[in-house]
Amino acid sequence: MDNSGKEKEASALIAEAEKKLKSSQSFFGALFGGSSKMEEACDMYARAANMYKMAKNWCAAGNAFSQAARLHLQMQSKHDAATNFIDAGNAFKKADPQEAINCLNRAIEIYTDMGRFTIAAKHHISIAEIYETELVDIDTAIAHYEQAADYYKGEESTSSANKCLLKVAVYAAQLEQYQKAIEIYEQVGTNAMDSTLLKYSAKDYFFKAALCHFCVDMLNAKLALQKYEEMFPAFSDSRECKLLKKLLDACEEQNVDVYTDAVKEYDTISRLDQWLTTMLLRIKKTIEEDESDLR
Amino acid sequence: MSSDFEAYEQDFGTLTAEITNKIGRIPKLGGEEKTQLVLNVDKQLEEVRELMEQMDLEVREIPIQSRGMYQSRLKSYKGEMEKLEKDFKRSRIAYSDEVRNELLGEDAGSSESQRAHLLDNTEKLERSSRRLEAGYQIAVETEQVGQEILANLHSDREKIQRSRERLRETDANLGKSSRILTGMLRRIIQNRVLVFVLGATILLTIILAIYFNVRGH
Repeated sequence: MDNSGKEKEASALIAEAEKKLKSSQSFFGALFGGSSKMEEACDMYARAANMYKMAKNWCAAGNAFSQAARLHLQMQSKHDAATNFIDAGNAFKKADPQEAINCLNRAIEIYTDMGRFTIAAKHHISIAEIYETELVDIDTAIAHYEQAADYYKGEESTSSANKCLLKVAVYAAQLEQYQKAIEIYEQVGTNAMDSTLLKYSAKDYFFKAALCHFCVDMLNAKLALQKYEEMFPAFSDSRECKLLKKLLDACEEQNVDVYTDAVKEYDTISRLDQWLTTMLLRIKKTIEEDESDLR
Repeated sequence: MSSDFEAYEQDFGTLTAEITNKIGRIPKLGGEEKTQLVLNVDKQLEEVRELMEQMDLEVREIPIQSRGMYQSRLKSYKGEMEKLEKDFKRSRIAYSDEVRNELLGEDAGSSESQRAHLLDNTEKLERSSRRLEAGYQIAVETEQVGQEILANLHSDREKIQRSRERLRETDANLGKSSRILTGMLRRIIQNRVLVFVLGATILLTIILAIYFNVRGH
């Protein structure tokens, strides 16, 4: 693949497209079929953008796609405009995240205008992911995930909504917004209980909800645990429930060693992931603080 | 010279065989018989030592060239003798074990095998418990993987349902559009027919006008 050759071709195409545009905007062009010229120009921009993509020149590709999208907007074909904005967003994702977010936002506006909320929600998720990974801005990411979840709920796709809500809960708990996390986990857990496919994941959600209660206050955790056991009898058999009971006891007795032992025992069977370790560490610190207070 | 050495070697061989035999029997016996056997073995070991010394003297008398082979043989015999002495000592210690057993009334000679048996069992138990733990871990991991798969399936199910709905809508819309298009086609045909009719009428009128004009002249 001769990449530099492709780039030259692409820049040649762009120059041609601009010429066509100029000519279509002059008086005679508008008379003699300006719209078809604009369509051709759009087409050329799109082709040039593809060539830039082949040459891996992401910025130029993104720019070309945005140009094409704007032309489509002028020609009042919203669908095409939105698709081109999405392409631009994808191209910019690899080069300039901020630009990507701009393009994706514009595309989402167009889609919500047209009433296509599912696609808009999908792109909210993409934006949230960019915020998560490249520009580490967890608050905006949470906001986008929430928007996506609302749109999905509006379109009655509860499981996609649940997926977004779970991510919101994970980040909320990390940022110590425990109330929100608890609500989300309880809601998702109760939903999951009823569905045949999801009931095996329900205990996981209740476990996480109980952990968040724990981070807030121990008494809350006890009440919550009882409530969950009542709602969902299978929960009491699970190892997670047993671990929680042990942790509660350790917390009552203010005994850090028992706590650590229980956690280690659980870890030997199934690895604790990053989120769980952070939460358990926080709870442990509260126990240690109480201990040192009492002393 | 060498024939003397060979005679010594044969004696050595027989003596060591007897000693090994007796040493093997010592731990199993007890009391009087044991003490007898122990004294016996002691005496035989003394004989073996004297034999070794004589073999040594013999070797020294042999000329230096052929000495090497005999010296190596001598060394191996010395090693054998030391091993026999060690075994003898060990069997005498087992001697005290026997007395203990007699005192405490256990089966003579089976405590060793019992201990080995128990150790074997403990090891087997440990191995099986380790395997069970590993199996449990794998089962838990499988459960987690299963949970994820189920969640994915659920969301896929919803997507498929939604696409089916959309497809039905699109189908209905396509039906509507095809009806509109047929309507349009009909109207086009109507318009064309009208245009022809009008054109024909106008032509007729013009022809009539010209005709009347010409007739009028």
